[in-house]
Amino acid sequence: MATLRIGTAVLDGTGIARGYLKVGDMPDGRPMQIPVLLAQGARPGPTLWIHGCVHGNEACGAFVVHRLMRELDTATLSGTIVALPILNITAFRSKARMSPFEGFSGGDLNRAFPGKADGTLTEQMAHAIYTELKAHAGYLVDLHTAMTADVRWALFPNAPGEVGQKSESMARAFGFNSTLPAPIDILAGSAMMVAARDGIPGLIVEAGGKGPAFTAALVSDVVERLRNVMRQIGMLTGTVAQHGPLTYFSNFAWVRAVQGGLFQRAVQCGERLKAGTVLGHYYDLWGQPTGEALSPQAGVVLAIHPGPIMARGETLVHIGLDPREV
Amino acid sequence: MAPATTVIRVGTAEAAGVGVTRGELRVGDTPDGEAVTIPVAIVRGAGEGPVLWINGCVHGDEFCGAFIIHEMLRTLDATSLSGVVVALPILNITASQRGQRMSPFATFGFGDLNRCFPGNPGGAFTDQMAHAIYSPLRQYADYFIDFHTALTPDTRWALFANAPGDVGRKSEGIARAFGLKSTLPAPMDILGGSSMIAAARDGIPSLIVEMGGIGPAFERETVLEGAERLRNVMRHLGMLAEKPTEHGPLTYFSNFAWVNATRGGLFERAVQCGERVDKGTLVGRYIGAHGDIVEEVKSPHAGIVLAINPGPAMATGDVLVHIGLDPRDT
Repeated sequence: MATLRIGTAVLDGTGIARGYLKVGDMPDGRPMQIPVLLAQGARPGPTLWIHGCVHGNEACGAFVVHRLMRELDTATLSGTIVALPILNITAFRSKARMSPFEGFSGGDLNRAFPGKADGTLTEQMAHAIYTELKAHAGYLVDLHTAMTADVRWALFPNAPGEVGQKSESMARAFGFNSTLPAPIDILAGSAMMVAARDGIPGLIVEAGGKGPAFTAALVSDVVERLRNVMRQIGMLTGTVAQHGPLTYFSNFAWVRAVQGGLFQRAVQCGERLKAGTVLGHYYDLWGQPTGEALSPQAGVVLAIHPGPIMARGETLVHIGLDPREV
Repeated sequence: MAPATTVIRVGTAEAAGVGVTRGELRVGDTPDGEAVTIPVAIVRGAGEGPVLWINGCVHGDEFCGAFIIHEMLRTLDATSLSGVVVALPILNITASQRGQRMSPFATFGFGDLNRCFPGNPGGAFTDQMAHAIYSPLRQYADYFIDFHTALTPDTRWALFANAPGDVGRKSEGIARAFGLKSTLPAPMDILGGSSMIAAARDGIPSLIVEMGGIGPAFERETVLEGAERLRNVMRHLGMLAEKPTEHGPLTYFSNFAWVNATRGGLFERAVQCGERVDKGTLVGRYIGAHGDIVEEVKSPHAGIVLAINPGPAMATGDVLVHIGLDPRDT
């Protein structure tokens, strides 16, 4: 078995190794480095790359990676796991979506792949991460959250041929009811889309909300679904659980708030919407109702703003369009 | 008690007769010279009675209180009210706009509004804000309730000013009418600079309510429950006609202990608010960046969990757990 090396994590043979991958420099010159775990099974098999916290305040994904790796027995594993629980480490420390050291470009790491070796901080981070991903990954799972604890949906690259087929089989083994076969022309610069173009099947999981807005039960559920993906791709033995028909969408629509104020949502994630369904209620500083937010489109709620306050232009609701059972 | 003929004036809100008046109180200026104003609602009842003053969002990210106050205001009928409700649901408006505890304009360590009362007209930004709020409070309030949150949605406790004599007795009366099980008769030498202690020293019976968590971490049910408990305080004070609900014995504490984290890392709590802990009870686990459990955190005191850090990440010095000491049923 060849030596596996990512950053300072080095693994010869079966077992688990821990280390760090350098993704940049801090303003004081110390290395900006992110945690890496490598696990090699007793038998050969594919390499599954899993990462979390592309957005720093989406901590649920880190807890999922951590639990998966703590509960992993490499004696029963076929193949290799490369796990990076916290990609955007300086954003994570700031409990923010983007790094505080990002200057001008906005800093959304999931729009910066495959990265640029001499670009902005976030582009250089993306480059350091994606170089390893492209070299090693057989499959990719990218863990995200939306805004509230009840978020549960997934998307896979609906790429032509084998990449799309393998991605869909991962999504079906993961089995969240709300699933988007993502048109290949959306989410440019996301790790999933870039990897799909490079022939790597992938899946984005959206589970839980920002910061502490997730439960231990959700973490356990996602970990079990990931183990089912690993059964599907031949990394774990055992029967693959069948989740039955899923709800597919044609695309999604981001709906921005065109009114600000105190806000109280009226819908839950997973709920069906018609055009005109009341999404929530706005109030002024004195508690008087100042308007209702209505859904501009029919579909299924993928994410909804939790309030309690909202400025214009924030994401009000994220809708899965044209739901159909497949 | 405000005689029916007195005009109650808080900022631009002027209540002369029965009904609801809304206005704004200026509490400072922004760096570009605009007025920083906060919402004021005055509900003047048809009958005579005391003036109940209610504050929310002393800390900008503690929105649950604003929603409780709003819910109560929307369901209050001035014609069936005796006395006056003065409500300031969002005190620290520039902090609230940013979803954070303290104002972005606070300078040099004077940012915690609840340590600045009674305020100082020539002080720092937050001192001047406290002064602008406390001056009409002292002038009009007969009773005072201050709404806060802790960290997680399951936070439910209250504390009243355990002042000598009538002020302490009346404070206890409103605490019992509010009726959250975990209640601290707060020693008068803690929480210096809080509006509750400042008001109690000025003879105004006072209560702090802690319900819900920071930012969006609160449930609609908590808002409805808080509003109903607030109405029960108003029944107890004779401001609403119905008989007040009796909540039975409460759990009192001798004091509380703030426990700060002495290490950092990812964190998973192991206890819920309201849970009994012994010295040594597991309250949570620190997790390293690679997912290894690096330390189990034990409670340094026996008592009841008033607040617990939800994680998911904590630096040294963050509030780990807040414990009510020496619980006893009374």
